Amino acid sequence: MRHRPSCIRSYHPYKHESNSSPFNPTEEAVLAASLRHVPTHGFTNASLSLGAREVGYLDITVNLFPRGVFDLVNYHLVTKRLALKKLLDIQAAKDDGGALTGLGIGARVRFLTLERLMANRPIIHRWQEALAIMAQPSYVPASIAELARLSDEIWFLAGDTSVDSSWYTKRASLSMIYSSTELFMTQDKSKAFAGTQKFLDRRFEDVRVVGRGISNIGNYLDYTAHSFINVLRSKGAKI
Amino acid sequence: MASKTVWRTLQPRIPTPIRSQNAYRCFSCAVRHAQKEEQPSERTTSFGFETVAESIKQSKVSSVFTSVAPSYDTMNDLMSLTIHRHWKRQFVQLLDPGTPRGARPQTILDIAGGTGDIAFRLLDHATDLHADHASRVLVADINPAMLAAGRARAARSRYRDSGRLSFLEANAEDLRAAGVADASVDLYTTAFGPRNFTSLAAALREAYRVLKPGGVFAMLEFAKVGNPAFNRLYKMWSFGVIPLMGQVVAGDRESYAYLVESVERWKSQEEVAELVREAGFLVPGEKGWVDFTGGVVAVHRGVKP
Ligand SMILES: C[S@@+](CC[C@H](N)C(=O)[O-])C[C@H]1O[C@@H](n2cnc3c(N)ncnc32)[C@H](O)[C@@H]1O
Repeated sequence: MRHRPSCIRSYHPYKHESNSSPFNPTEEAVLAASLRHVPTHGFTNASLSLGAREVGYLDITVNLFPRGVFDLVNYHLVTKRLALKKLLDIQAAKDDGGALTGLGIGARVRFLTLERLMANRPIIHRWQEALAIMAQPSYVPASIAELARLSDEIWFLAGDTSVDSSWYTKRASLSMIYSSTELFMTQDKSKAFAGTQKFLDRRFEDVRVVGRGISNIGNYLDYTAHSFINVLRSKGAKI
Repeated sequence: MASKTVWRTLQPRIPTPIRSQNAYRCFSCAVRHAQKEEQPSERTTSFGFETVAESIKQSKVSSVFTSVAPSYDTMNDLMSLTIHRHWKRQFVQLLDPGTPRGARPQTILDIAGGTGDIAFRLLDHATDLHADHASRVLVADINPAMLAAGRARAARSRYRDSGRLSFLEANAEDLRAAGVADASVDLYTTAFGPRNFTSLAAALREAYRVLKPGGVFAMLEFAKVGNPAFNRLYKMWSFGVIPLMGQVVAGDRESYAYLVESVERWKSQEEVAELVREAGFLVPGEKGWVDFTGGVVAVHRGVKP
């Protein structure tokens, strides 16, 4: 079985990654079952072992995952990213053309970003654990690369085919909008995550107002870095 | 004059095959035995830098350990500057044997387990880290003298009357003959054994057979050092210092040289990983192995799907 290389891939405007699952059937079965234990047991080895047992394997089977719990976090990230494509296919198959008919690229980006955020709902109370794991030095490159893949996927699925100089800016802005909103969501107690939705819209609004959004990137970075450090501190990191 | 000799000894003599003069030394063990004539028509395998008929290697190997069994553990320390302890500890930590309270205890098979060094570590890990007092280790080795040394050690250990540690005379390449059933094992370990096997592929086939679905094959063995500068240093140590040490300490240069040669002749990480895959295992990660000490040794793992 091959995992994606855990290094930052160079993103190239003309290439969009394929949508095939990087997990073999055994990994897929164990990780899917493990993820169902995350709401109760968190992103922990216990969830991995329970998942392995549930599908008829053994506690020791988790040796299959050399990065341990990070492989479980990664599974969540990858499968939820790939689910966006399926979601669009379902929408497109509807008689009325689905939720995205008549929407421009910007609105489609917002729709997909919100969908992706909402896919975190079942585990959002555990997501700070995942963030702390992703922030471990050896996993940072893989985590950033996966975030970049998500941005790329969303722009691609939204129908953005432009390959001009804004390509990187768009993806960088979306990565920052996504990660800061996700962080906000971990602390959002509002009904049906209405607060998260508002937060997301304000971030998109910032980008719109500033035009290409470049000058505001600094603000996102500040916010994200700040909240992120607080999260890590709350997880016991000495920073 | 003396220093000159030492210096010459320190020069890496890497590719010069040395006849091992009927002596054999494993990770640290040596014994003399009658050399058989090679039969050119037969299939051959390596024995240090020598090439011997496959049928002979096994009997050579099985006789080798008899004379060294009592001093085996001490010799290991000397040969590897006690680093082998560190490797074995890392190996066990990586595998993380043992199950939490309420879960099914594990059946662990330690092949070429010799004096039980790995077995004790596996049990200690399960007991101390997981409060698992039920998982069991079966130590299998082709050599009765090594097993006897292991039994003696067990009798002095905390596992004395626990029923968690047992010993079995068995050939890794034919565990059926020793009565190890299909799909009966959670974790199969082997440390510094595979170099002595006549066929690693045959041992892997047996590992696959005896493991349960989801069970794990794990092997710790010498490998190839990646970094060229470090490799030079390592070769200097192994081809220069180790035989010298053998000469000084045991008055037996050749058998120490055997160790180094057999390591040199052994497979690369890629080759072993390929054999693990060919046996039907899923290998974890991109490469399927983990290097320790820059590749002086490596751990290969496989999961039976
Ligand atoms: C270097 S010792 C390793 C002992 C122990 N695993 C350790 O790490 O300390 C190699 C062992 O492999 C055993 N051995 C060699 N060939 C074997 C085979 N075909 N089947 C089972 N054991 C074998 C030898 O008897 C010896 O005890």
